[in-house]
Amino acid sequence: MRKIISAALITAAVFGVGLASDKDTTDKEAKFIGARGKYWAFQKVVRPPVPSVSDSWVRTPIDAFILSALQAKKLTPSEPADRIRLIRRVTFDLIGLPPTPAEVDAFLKDRSPDAYTRVVDRLLASPHYGERWALKWLDIVRYADTNGFEIDGDRSHAWRYRDYVIDAFNHDKSYDRFIKEQIAGGEMFPGNKEALIASGYLRAGQEHLVAGNIDPEVSREEVLTEIATNVGQTFLGMTVNCARCHNHKFDPILQADYYRLQAIFAGAEGKEVEIATPEEKAAWEAADKAYQERLKPVKDALEQLQKPYRERIEATELAKLEQKLQEAWKTPEAKRTPDQKTLAENAKSQIEPTWDIVVAAMTPEDKDKRAKLRAKLHEVEATEPDPLPMAYAYVNGDQPAPQGYVLRMGDPKNRLDPVEPSVPRVIKASYEIPKATVGRRTALANWLTSEENPLVARVIVNRIWQYRMGTGIVRTPNDFGVMGDRPSNQQLLDWLASEFVAKGWSIKTMDRLIVTSSVYLQSAAPDKDREGVDPDNRLYWRMNRKRMEGETLRDEILSVTGSLNPKLGGRPVRIPIEPEVYDLIFTEHERDGLWPVNPDKSVQNRRSIYLYDKRSVRLPLLTAFDQPDSITSCPVRPVSTHALQALSLFNSDFMQEQSQAFAARLRTECKKDNQACEVKTAWKLALARTPTPAEQKLAKKFFTGGGNLVDMCLALLNRNEFVYVP
Amino acid sequence: MSPNNRHFVPAVTRRDVLVRAAHGFGSIALASLLSPPAGAAQRVNALAAKPPHFKPRAKSVIFLFMVGAPSHIDTFDPKPALDKYDGQLLPASYGTVVSEFTKGDTPLLKSPWKFNKYGQSGREVSTLFPHMSQHVDDLCFVRSFYTESTVHAPAMYQVNTGRILMGYPSMGSWITYGLGSESENLPAYVVMPQPEGTPEGGTPCWGAGFLPAVYQGTVFRPGPNPIINLRPPAGVTPERQRRTLDFLQSMNEMDTLDTDTEMAARISSYELAFRMQSHAPEAVDISKETQATRELYGLDQKHTAEFGTRCLLARRLVERGVRFVQIYSGGGPVSVQWDAHSNLVANHEKMCGMTDLPIAGLLQDLKQRGLLEETLVIWGAEFGRLPMSQGGNGRDHNPHGFTMWFAGGGVKPGITVGETDELGLNALEPRHHMRDFHATILQLLGLDQNQLWFLHNGRNEKLTDFGGNVIKEMLA
Repeated sequence: MRKIISAALITAAVFGVGLASDKDTTDKEAKFIGARGKYWAFQKVVRPPVPSVSDSWVRTPIDAFILSALQAKKLTPSEPADRIRLIRRVTFDLIGLPPTPAEVDAFLKDRSPDAYTRVVDRLLASPHYGERWALKWLDIVRYADTNGFEIDGDRSHAWRYRDYVIDAFNHDKSYDRFIKEQIAGGEMFPGNKEALIASGYLRAGQEHLVAGNIDPEVSREEVLTEIATNVGQTFLGMTVNCARCHNHKFDPILQADYYRLQAIFAGAEGKEVEIATPEEKAAWEAADKAYQERLKPVKDALEQLQKPYRERIEATELAKLEQKLQEAWKTPEAKRTPDQKTLAENAKSQIEPTWDIVVAAMTPEDKDKRAKLRAKLHEVEATEPDPLPMAYAYVNGDQPAPQGYVLRMGDPKNRLDPVEPSVPRVIKASYEIPKATVGRRTALANWLTSEENPLVARVIVNRIWQYRMGTGIVRTPNDFGVMGDRPSNQQLLDWLASEFVAKGWSIKTMDRLIVTSSVYLQSAAPDKDREGVDPDNRLYWRMNRKRMEGETLRDEILSVTGSLNPKLGGRPVRIPIEPEVYDLIFTEHERDGLWPVNPDKSVQNRRSIYLYDKRSVRLPLLTAFDQPDSITSCPVRPVSTHALQALSLFNSDFMQEQSQAFAARLRTECKKDNQACEVKTAWKLALARTPTPAEQKLAKKFFTGGGNLVDMCLALLNRNEFVYVP
Repeated sequence: MSPNNRHFVPAVTRRDVLVRAAHGFGSIALASLLSPPAGAAQRVNALAAKPPHFKPRAKSVIFLFMVGAPSHIDTFDPKPALDKYDGQLLPASYGTVVSEFTKGDTPLLKSPWKFNKYGQSGREVSTLFPHMSQHVDDLCFVRSFYTESTVHAPAMYQVNTGRILMGYPSMGSWITYGLGSESENLPAYVVMPQPEGTPEGGTPCWGAGFLPAVYQGTVFRPGPNPIINLRPPAGVTPERQRRTLDFLQSMNEMDTLDTDTEMAARISSYELAFRMQSHAPEAVDISKETQATRELYGLDQKHTAEFGTRCLLARRLVERGVRFVQIYSGGGPVSVQWDAHSNLVANHEKMCGMTDLPIAGLLQDLKQRGLLEETLVIWGAEFGRLPMSQGGNGRDHNPHGFTMWFAGGGVKPGITVGETDELGLNALEPRHHMRDFHATILQLLGLDQNQLWFLHNGRNEKLTDFGGNVIKEMLA
């Protein structure tokens, strides 16, 4: 043992990684970690000096880092983007919506030197800022409103976590506090509802809840795998999950490290915790009682209608069974012999008809009656009171955490060595995770947010940069490991990380810094010569063009056509879906009432972040534009271009409705039948600019050739320029 | 996140894109491209046909998926020992049996159907398949598959995506990612679920997972407009739509630089969508099929007409260059699935009755048109069923051993590979995991399982994950 410890100490001393207390790390493992621990991402962040470049282009320290890197390659930055592109860019980036014509005009007229920073400050203060960030954050934590797998049941309270995230960004909650609440909410901040809701992060992933012989041990292991995987990806930018079946093939993560990380969460479990006040509870109970009373007569009527049919079918089927089965079935339950009990069960499964068989047996009149009753049932169900407020939380259990083990190939039935809760050895500083069940998550959260941690700040500043500049300094934001990308400018990344912590882990501060830099203000125009030197724009000699996410595109359309309902927060909203999509909802039961839509149009026109996110049923417009499936963490959305997008954006009912709304808006705003005004207003609303003479000519030709205003609107909403932000 | 992999077509100029579009090189998503990490190295048409890794035996795949799991021991894997032990308990030597509802302590149940030998090859098939059995000389049976989950959805994910977890790219996505499409005007990967409902696993069974959306399966629904949003809204004439499209395209042309392949791709995608509007309805219009063909697929009979139509469509799609077609028999209510927990006889007779004739028709039709040689047909499910009874006359799930068959596409016909034990409970070594199933299919299509990868969250993800073994005995 002495030998092992000393080997670890030597490794730690040589490579500056924390191996000192790894009593249970073998010599071989320590070597494995030590050699690979030299990798850049595991070294503590050291704040680099800002390069001294004297150039009027440099407005922020960021610009100094970028310019000095460009100069090293004999490159120069691009011209600034024009003001129209700039306000459209920064508005989409910070709040995910287009600027209004009034906002554009005000900015164009304001020639004062701080005109732009005032726009930025207005956007940072907008409540839509949090919604914009939440779309990104929920991709990373693969949030959805359902459990996944075949039943894909509803999580009626999960949305409070979504609202928590929006709120956290809007109030610029410090990122260290944000981490602590999500990892250890109820434990670190007892009695704090918000922190309890935040722990819903640990339950954001899919969970396999289904009938039948599901092995609880296997299910539990699945839950812990989801947690450990996502904690690694989201906060550490490490693929610790790759070490589930063996030591990490590339990074210094031991298989034992993976199970040590899991063990931190093993003493706690998912739970719905009531957060209602006594008054809320009393009000809910009264409302629920009234609801049950409305429901009962309809349910009773249905049962009364079906019962004779079901009994007749059962009698017919029973008569077909073997004598002994019939006898067992007819024998009163209490008098059945053990054998008869099994036989009676068998008889039951053989004679009990499913709903469709009962319906098939009905007379046309009764079928009709039943259909009406079902419709009535759904009508009543639509009036169900909102459920009693609960936090969809992850809390410590009553029992001590079970002993953790390394599992052979991740199989809970195949235990290897026992492990104690700990963080990965390679980045372990002085923090110890206690063995006691309570306090494990607190210790992890403290470790994640300590200044010693080399990864957490780097990972988040890289994400902020990615969302503003289009690509990360490390282009694999969930993987800072050996298989991931190397930073294109580590000095800049480290400076940002250090600045972020120094400024109190404030995301808004970083956002403000980046979007007011000269780097951000550059045009996105291509340039042959610069492309020759840096084809992938890794040094940021220009801005990267971004394509709207499906959700942002939908929000943009609603906003431009004047249909957007900007209400914040609340329960998720189901919007109407195409019958083809409805057909894809899995059920073995009746196919009616599976997707209750709120008939209020304005509710349907809420921002996309509030749409009900069912893992197994995706909305065509969003999924065509690469909306991730909420199943694995998505740090960078793919951008694909294909014909189904065109079909969705040209032919769908939604687009038809929206182009009509757009046309109606133009007619209202232009008062009389004034085509030139309509064209001009349409351009300003959709593209933030006035039409060029050539475009005006084109529009005129379109109208004289028989085109109408609705179709012009449709075309505009399909235009490349509408779908991209240069 | 730049998957620098041969499956992404390198940059070309916008002119090339448009020329390709005109010549119909690509397919529906000729214009598909990944956003490059930053600007310049743009890529076009993710679905353009791509060369395989080596000479392929099959060009396209038709996967007939029997939702809920047919019983192998009542269809293609006869177990005479079951007749002998009928009504007795499983010998203790078999140990505990994992299934969904039962625990292996219910009595053994002999097959209610007789088996006969058919064809020159003498393959055994039960009386459930009077028509399919006429084609055994074209079929390759593998009786030794096993899978990891005893629950429908995870097991469906494993057959379709290689993992028991939701959210990995499906086999059809991997294949279209690897090979692109031969079709100019239709989706590369088409899925036809049971009209009564979707299988338990739902849309992730044909999802693209973390691959770009362009690779996901496109659902074809019954009727003349199989694709969602294929038709313009009511009241919009083709002329009117063309006019709006022309207006859009001229605006897009106006502000697109000649070197901007990404925007060019978007312009092309609208032309392709427009073409698809006429080609997709043509592909599903069976009115010109002869009476003989209609009868071959059972379109003239009530119980076979629906599944027969989907089989006929599969042939028409493959004929038109669609790469991967999947048809689900079963879905939605239990009464329309193969999931015979009770009333095995009634259930299987009904489900076989719906599918036997159409599948036989499909095999014959593909053969007579010379399509079978380059089309791999697969018949299978998420698992098999137990030799023990459930509820007296049903069978519970059996992931430990089950049968699938293959035809055409470079598969050795008229043979049986592998076996289960005396009672049909466990596959015997060398038994085959779903990874082997996938490795073999990729091999037949000319794809090397280890060269077909995609970098996702720091891992080179592959369909076969740790790698499978190609089932060599299956190859012709």
